[in-house]
Amino acid sequence: MFGFRPLLPGARSRLRATRSLFIRHGAEGTPEGRSLRLLQQWLSPSQREQFGRRGYFEVVGSDSGKRYRIHAGASVNVCEIDERGRLQEGLCFMPIGALPIGDVMLAQKIALETCEDKARAVARRFTPNGFHFRQTRPLG
Amino acid sequence: MAIQIVMDRTGDSRHPFNPDDVQEVAKAEQRFYELTKAGFTAAVRTSSGQTSQIRMFDATAEQTLFFPRLVGG
Repeated sequence: MFGFRPLLPGARSRLRATRSLFIRHGAEGTPEGRSLRLLQQWLSPSQREQFGRRGYFEVVGSDSGKRYRIHAGASVNVCEIDERGRLQEGLCFMPIGALPIGDVMLAQKIALETCEDKARAVARRFTPNGFHFRQTRPLG
Repeated sequence: MAIQIVMDRTGDSRHPFNPDDVQEVAKAEQRFYELTKAGFTAAVRTSSGQTSQIRMFDATAEQTLFFPRLVGG
C-alpha cells in the first residue's frame, strides 16, 4: 500500500555499513576528524587501546621517566601522574596556531616522549581537579 | 613513497616524495630545513612504534611529522 518492500537478506547490514562509511568519511573530511585519525596512527598499540577504552592515554617523559596522562582536549589536558595513577601537577602547553584537537594531543605526546624538559619549560602549571578531566567537558 | 606530514589548521598537509628520485629528495630536504628553521619539530616513528625527534633530514624515514613550536597555555 505504501510501497514498503521487505529487505533482501543481508541488505540491512549493507545499509548499516554504507551509513557508517558515510559518517566516517564525513568525519574524516573535517580538520578534527583528520587530526584524530593521524593521532590514532601515531599512538603505540597500548596507547591506542587505552585511548579507545578510557578517553586518555599515557606517555613516559624522555628526560625524567615520569608518567603523564593526555586527555582529549586542546588545552589544560595534560597531567603528571604518580606510580599509582593519581593526578599530580597539570601542565598546559600546545603548539602554536589553531590546530585541531588530534594534532594538539599528538604534538603533546611527541614533545613529552622526545623533549620533555623543553615541554615542561614552556608549560603553564595548574592544579588538576575533576572538571579538567571529565570526559563530558567541552573540548578545547 | 615517503611522506612529510605538516600539521596545520586543516589537520595536516601531506608532501609525498620518492626516496629514489634525487630531485624529489632534494625538495623534501629543503622543506625539512625550512620548517625546522621556522621552529617546527620533526619526528619519526621507529619500527617499535616509539617516536623520536630528528634534527637532520632522513630520506629513508617513511613518515616525518612536523609540528609547530610549543607555547604555554
